[in-house]
Amino acid sequence: MKKIERAILQVVAATGISSVVVQLITIREFLAQFQGNEFIIALILFCWLTLGGIGTLLARQVAQRMRASVNALGILSFLLATLAPVQILAIRFLRDFFFIHGTSVGFYQTLAYIGLLITPYCLLLGYVLPYSLFVLRHEIPDYPGARIYITDNLGDVTGGALFAFILVFWATPLQAVLIANIPLMVATYLLYMPRPTPGAIILAVAATGAMAFGIVWEKQSLVPSEGRLVHYQESRYGRISVHQDQEQYTLFKDNLPVFSSQNIAAAEEAIHYPLSQLLKARRTLLISGEGGIMAEIEKYHPETVDYVELDPKIAAVQFQFNLMQPIDGLNVIHEDGRAHLKQTTARYDAIILNLPEPDTFQVNRFYTDQFFRLAQTHLNPEGILSFSMQGFDNYLAEAQRQKLSSLHNTAARHFKHILLLPGQRIFFLCRNAPIDWDIPALLEHRNIHTRYIRGYYYGNVTRERVDQLNALMDPQAPINRDESPRLIKIMFSQWFDKFATSPVAFMLVIATVSLVYVARMTRAEYVLFSTGFMTMGSEILVIFAFQIFFGYIYFQIGLIVTVFLAGLLPGAWIGQKQIRHLKATLITADGILISLTAVLIIMVMTLGDRLPAPSYLIFGFLVSLACGFQFPVALQLEGAGAGAVTRTFSADLIGAAGGTLITSVVLIPHLGILWAAAALIALKLSSLVILGGGHADNES
Amino acid sequence: MLTMNRRDFIYRSAAFLCCTALCLPDNLAAKSGPISGPSDIRGKVFKGGAPATLWKWSHEGFMYKKLQDQKVVCLICPNRCILAPGDRSACRSKVNMDGTLYSLAYGNPCAIHNDPVEKKPLFHFIPRSRAFSIATTGCNLRCLNCQNWEISQAKPEEVRNFELFPPDVIKAARRSEAVSIAYTYSEAITYFEYMIDTARQARAAQINNLLISNGYINRKPLLELCQVLDAANINLKSFQDDIYRKLNGGRLTPVLNTLKTLHAQGVHFEITTLAVPGYVDDDEMIKQMCQWILTNLGPDYPLHFSRFFPRYKLNRLPPTPVSTLTKLRELALQEGIRYVYVGNVPTHEGNNTYCHACGKLLVERMGYYIPTYNMDGNHCKFCRQRIPGRWTA
Repeated sequence: MKKIERAILQVVAATGISSVVVQLITIREFLAQFQGNEFIIALILFCWLTLGGIGTLLARQVAQRMRASVNALGILSFLLATLAPVQILAIRFLRDFFFIHGTSVGFYQTLAYIGLLITPYCLLLGYVLPYSLFVLRHEIPDYPGARIYITDNLGDVTGGALFAFILVFWATPLQAVLIANIPLMVATYLLYMPRPTPGAIILAVAATGAMAFGIVWEKQSLVPSEGRLVHYQESRYGRISVHQDQEQYTLFKDNLPVFSSQNIAAAEEAIHYPLSQLLKARRTLLISGEGGIMAEIEKYHPETVDYVELDPKIAAVQFQFNLMQPIDGLNVIHEDGRAHLKQTTARYDAIILNLPEPDTFQVNRFYTDQFFRLAQTHLNPEGILSFSMQGFDNYLAEAQRQKLSSLHNTAARHFKHILLLPGQRIFFLCRNAPIDWDIPALLEHRNIHTRYIRGYYYGNVTRERVDQLNALMDPQAPINRDESPRLIKIMFSQWFDKFATSPVAFMLVIATVSLVYVARMTRAEYVLFSTGFMTMGSEILVIFAFQIFFGYIYFQIGLIVTVFLAGLLPGAWIGQKQIRHLKATLITADGILISLTAVLIIMVMTLGDRLPAPSYLIFGFLVSLACGFQFPVALQLEGAGAGAVTRTFSADLIGAAGGTLITSVVLIPHLGILWAAAALIALKLSSLVILGGGHADNES
Repeated sequence: MLTMNRRDFIYRSAAFLCCTALCLPDNLAAKSGPISGPSDIRGKVFKGGAPATLWKWSHEGFMYKKLQDQKVVCLICPNRCILAPGDRSACRSKVNMDGTLYSLAYGNPCAIHNDPVEKKPLFHFIPRSRAFSIATTGCNLRCLNCQNWEISQAKPEEVRNFELFPPDVIKAARRSEAVSIAYTYSEAITYFEYMIDTARQARAAQINNLLISNGYINRKPLLELCQVLDAANINLKSFQDDIYRKLNGGRLTPVLNTLKTLHAQGVHFEITTLAVPGYVDDDEMIKQMCQWILTNLGPDYPLHFSRFFPRYKLNRLPPTPVSTLTKLRELALQEGIRYVYVGNVPTHEGNNTYCHACGKLLVERMGYYIPTYNMDGNHCKFCRQRIPGRWTA
């Protein structure tokens, strides 16, 4: 291997490491600044991949006009490293510059903000990869593009694993950016050796300065305008901060206030609405918790309270800041709530969910037919399940009515009695014994003193309001199931209603641009486009299915993400050795992808949780293996020109972007897991037909 | 002449970049809080937003002016929407149909409840009584923390509604044994035609009329309304015009004018101010507000400081600390306002009424429940001081 080749490949690998870490941190940063629903998650990935694809296409334009040079590659790579911390800090600082402080932001504003802030980095990132190849080809004509792809994937896998298994535990976002960019800066600096130019030194200093600046100002960038920041940490599940304003402590998760030390009403409603119905509340299960609830539970003198919290850091912070007080009989369990229920043999008098709205696949699992069945089997005969949704003051809007009705109908399959209590939060009480709406009377009978319920219940939750709300439930509303999360779709509608917007215009633009783009593709490009689409779509499906059956287990989901990258590398390595029967090879790989997806879905649907967890990992590896395998084969089919290289790289990225967006926000919420998989298979079948239906453009 | 070699240049450039970078967060951080983001979120006319035809719940506008080219200007609120044929007002309730202004919110309430009068909040108006409360859709402001955004930011055609024309409202209020009708929840000013017709009939039927409003109304229609109004609660959302424009999409002066008009017309009213952290919790601003109240309205109108909770679009702020509300209440009392309350905080001392003359507890409130009541008609039971408001039916 030539010295220059080694130096450039080191830069490519280091770029892969850096870019994946920066991508993950950027996603977390956006989720902390905006609504963390499935739509936004998909949107960020979509923008990232699409802009990367556009950057790649731009590289071809530039390559036609000017000669690629090592010096320029070095400048671009330093610039990339510099942009990483700038991008993270810009996301934090500019939010309050563009939007009103303290407000949530609607879909199009979020889209514009994401687009604006990641465009420089993503375009440059997409540009650098083919540019590296052009520099190499200048030195070594006919240098194989697949080798760049493989090296980049090597970096991607390393970066993904580095973040998921090390940085997320030990580093703050900007520390992680620095660590992930050190290899890139070193590799880039080595490009200039043995005689670094003044420009290289300036850029190296600038990049280092930007990162050092980021670390120095990291905490400062999180200081709230109201009160002071008394606690900040990044957990693997998101950002946790505690703000103190005078005597009040408020816990923020991803910058949204979740619990406050002075919210008596929330604590009383969450506990007394369900527990007042019971003769004895000996054993209670809390799935997640909020400030003040333990003090309210204690009024029932429970024998055991199992408090299940997925994120150990959230539980620790609540106790640390006295948002939650330890009581006798309390067991704190750090586990996914649903996984806990599945494993335990305990039966409870009450199961109380204190979870956010079901706007992500992860949370939706607690509001499905299967979950309610599971909960019911862990309740004593007169036990009660309660959970709450965002409430309303005086009018139940249609999207929310549909959401509540869907929940009502789903729970009604397992509980004979369901009562909805209105208020700032709407409480669902589900039981196989009668439920009394008159909570203050029940509490008085048991001699339990409350502050909020006693004074406000008869004004805020009158019999008339209770009857009105319960009468509004729509018996036709869909059942929310694990495999068909209809609530997610309704949550999207509600979110769009809140901001008086609709995604239709966005989807139409995307569909039009995609159609034009696809129409101009070669067959081999379409294969890569559809493979990228299917691979990302499959990854989302697999994570979705895995969570349903095994709960949200951070390490295993991290492993799934990693294996979906890991297979690309050996796949590409095998693929680049293929020099004959290229078209037939692509067709075979397409067939394998289709078969794999079909087999997985059949197994998931028939075996459910009996399907061993490693199956998901094997599937992910095989899919990415096939995807990686196709890339060099398609590249050979397309020819070795700069145009072919950039187009194939772009097709893969843009396909992945489409797969992310469409699978998350259209296929799964609208069609469910089975038909989403069928749609992915149909897309791949179309590639099979297109490929098989004509002569490949450059068949060798 | 100074010379600079390459190394100097690099060092100086690096130093400059570092200094610039270090100053950046402070400059940007200063942008957060009340001065960040758009400075004005006022609503706009919906061009071509009117429905194709009127419906049964349409009523010609109460106060508007015809302009050239079949345009009309609505004169109910300070938005003064100028509507071309086919346009819809910023409040979403009024449309121009062929040169005539119509309200689409007449006899079609979407929310009907029978609430304790304390919930409005009206603490000095027939305590322990019920208010038959109605609302149609629409609002002339755009408050980012609106509690009723599902109806205030909706068009009449977008919601489920009841049919309750003014005579039906009176009947329903009687059936529910309410002594008052409250025009509330969304923004009553936007269904002015429905409200005033109902209020006139209620007055004739000896039922009280309560306006629960943002006070964003022009003087002329307000004077008409005052003829039949018994009490009001006006939301004074801030005492700074820039915050009004940013958080509420309105202006301060019209609201202050409303308070002056109500005072001049002898209508009992109470003022509610939501203490939004970082926006409406500044001591100086509250002092100025109290001074304005004392100068223009006197010390007798009750003032409620309500606790903010994250709501609607303004949901990334913490709730107001209770001590902030306590401090604001004390500040207003010190300034000379006689009845200052704290809202949305159970069991706070600021829920109770204390006689401004003898300081004794007159009304103890636990939410909407009143365990202690020491009023004798409109007077303090202990010192016979007349307490502002209306305490008996």
